[in-house]
Amino acid sequence: MNQNLVRVLDGNVFVLSEDNGDIEATAANPVGFFDFDTRFLSVWRLTLNGERLTSLSIAERDHLQMRFFLVPGAPTHYVDAKSSLIRERAITGGVFEERLTLFNHHHVPEEFTVRLDVGSDFAPILGVAAERTPPGRLYRQVEERGLRLGYQRERFQRETAVTSSEPVRVDERGLTWTVRLAPRQAWTTTLRVRSFVLRPDGIDVRDRLERRPRASAEERQDDLSAWLSRTPQLTCDWEALTEAYRRSLVDLAALRYSPLTLPDEVMPAAGLPWAATITGRDSILTSFMALPVAPELASATVRMLGIDQGTVLDDFRDEEPGKILREFRYGEMVAFEERPQSPYYGTADATPLYVILLDEYERWSGDVGLVREFEDEARAALRWIDEYGDLLGDGYVRYLWRNERSGVANQGWKDSPEAICHADGRLPGPPLATCELQGYAYDAKLRGARMAREFWGDPAYADRLEREAAALRERFDRDFWIADRGYYALALDGDGGQVDALASNMGHLLWSGIVPPERAAEVAAHLVGPRLFSGWGIRSLATGQERYNPLGYHLGAVWPFDNALITWGLRRYGFAEEAGRIAEAMVEVSRFFHGRLPEAFAGYARELTEYPVGYPTANSPQAMATATPFLLLRALLGLEAAGEHLLMAPRVPARFGRVELLDVPGRWGRRDVIGSGLAHLAR
Amino acid sequence: MSDPIEAFFAQLARQAPERVLRRTTGTIRFELEGSDGLDVWHVTIRHGRLAVEHRARYADTVIRTRRDVFVRMARGEVKPLTAWLRNEIVADGHFRFVVLLERLFPAPPGARHPRERAGRRPG
Repeated sequence: MNQNLVRVLDGNVFVLSEDNGDIEATAANPVGFFDFDTRFLSVWRLTLNGERLTSLSIAERDHLQMRFFLVPGAPTHYVDAKSSLIRERAITGGVFEERLTLFNHHHVPEEFTVRLDVGSDFAPILGVAAERTPPGRLYRQVEERGLRLGYQRERFQRETAVTSSEPVRVDERGLTWTVRLAPRQAWTTTLRVRSFVLRPDGIDVRDRLERRPRASAEERQDDLSAWLSRTPQLTCDWEALTEAYRRSLVDLAALRYSPLTLPDEVMPAAGLPWAATITGRDSILTSFMALPVAPELASATVRMLGIDQGTVLDDFRDEEPGKILREFRYGEMVAFEERPQSPYYGTADATPLYVILLDEYERWSGDVGLVREFEDEARAALRWIDEYGDLLGDGYVRYLWRNERSGVANQGWKDSPEAICHADGRLPGPPLATCELQGYAYDAKLRGARMAREFWGDPAYADRLEREAAALRERFDRDFWIADRGYYALALDGDGGQVDALASNMGHLLWSGIVPPERAAEVAAHLVGPRLFSGWGIRSLATGQERYNPLGYHLGAVWPFDNALITWGLRRYGFAEEAGRIAEAMVEVSRFFHGRLPEAFAGYARELTEYPVGYPTANSPQAMATATPFLLLRALLGLEAAGEHLLMAPRVPARFGRVELLDVPGRWGRRDVIGSGLAHLAR
Repeated sequence: MSDPIEAFFAQLARQAPERVLRRTTGTIRFELEGSDGLDVWHVTIRHGRLAVEHRARYADTVIRTRRDVFVRMARGEVKPLTAWLRNEIVADGHFRFVVLLERLFPAPPGARHPRERAGRRPG
């Protein structure tokens, strides 16, 4: 997927184009104007006197607005300075707005023909990367000031309305303006592109649902300024950390998404542009990692995912009662059940993670109300672990897809088909119990116990959960520990056999606390040892494993969010030096990506490449990578919410120098945290 | 009672599905289009308890659909959310009540317990 596409966006409304602003979508180049998981423009091609335009420069700021400076002619020509065009675009009030300004730089009057070809295939987002013949009927209607494009399949209907502020000649393929300009004069027209998700009565479905009007570009600019001033301020001697932090705050602001179900709240979407939707794991982990800077995201995530919690058995959606969803989508393929995201529940980690987030959120915010309000949902999630997650009745959470046609086979965060493998490359037989799922289940039970005892008035339930957690911990250590290798198995296969690849998954076990202290040193040594640690970060799969590939998505690439959770886990078990080493490597990596940590990067050894090699992923920013610096900071500064207090125990590597995080919000009000690269030497 | 729609609402009135949460509160008016006109039902949900009236009353959210689609939803054959995405049901009001329909209507027939799929006995 082309990484160099330029875009403006507002949640799930966005425009992707070439660097001259044109859109000519193909399966290999999925550009367009998108809204509501649907492409509303697939052709948007500008010519001046029949010539295509070339970009001289692009001005882009904060995802909100952008500006293209264009001249006619191909890039190989000399620049013909007799005319030029500026294209300014924004998403404002949910509408794609583009202002064209044409300049006649010549000393004589000129006549220009400005032409904009317009078209749409109304492809659903889930189908844009494949060749696809739309099953419904496409239509076009010429109107006085513009063009209307439409698509209808049974009662399902989408329309795009393109209008011009200036008089225009319209045909079924686009808009044409004839412009006469005196010397050094300019002409401007404003194009508005509106998407319609129509009901049979011709009304947009969204217009009859209670929700706030979409914000204008100016309102969103103000909102971004307010967001930046209310989140904690970071200063650090090492500028790379300050930059990564600042970039992450801006990106997290852009990732905030208001679902139709909860129009007054914002939760983090999984990634931009392709995953601007409600997700389980990504929204939960992002909210968890962002607790020190924006705890309100966690509350919205808990609410939203609670409303959509599974209630029935449904094979097509891999749904079970109490299960937290994987992903929700509004597009055509979902509507007609070619795809299961309505919502799809095929993930085994989101449900225990949901309980973990609810508990951790209360510890930080003191918002007991939410824990009481969501007692039923949390209990249903805990019940799911034993009743539906424990597929073989042996006390382990496993997964097995029931939708083998359009579902997902591997239902942890490593969800590619071959991600879970033996050291010798064999693929294990299902149903798989990956190790990190057991850690999450253990942590969820303990946190559930705390909530039951302190807030739900059910000490008997708390006792039971604690007994179950203790039994799980003992059983887990017995069945997953590979004594002669000194690490935990990646998974158990369907027969209970150990899947013995050395992988990053066991790092999450330190976060969960399921590892007995006497094993932790061996686990930590593997995590920062040469097979897993590349020098830039911990690889998803260690070198020496048969399927290891530095470019393997889950088979060797380094994932920043994975590293952040592991860093936090190391810190919790007292491995501050190791945690600092990983945090330092991550911040160094961010410098090579303008402060923006990518979803994943290649697992090459640092001494081999001397810089981290980018991995071609679809989403940038990706929410969990965006939130990574926040959890790294938490690990460096040793931040824990305890009672009414924010505990701090800074252990900062010398490289960082002084680190100040001011105004950390929580039940304590606001607190300043200051750490220094030398602080630990004095202790 | 032979009419499946009357039977569905009678069952709702008798016993709210367990899946409706205790704190759920709100009103829904169902407008069912048939060959002989509009059949209107009103459901009040207060703290998870349901009251049903067979008449038009003000509601927070109005759900309009054809009788045949409603009957299929009442059998679990059509899922409310995808029916909404296809415009087979139309909603005015709060989207969360469209999501709530998932808890009012039955599960799809023939679904398996994951343990059954894994070759074990459920429970």
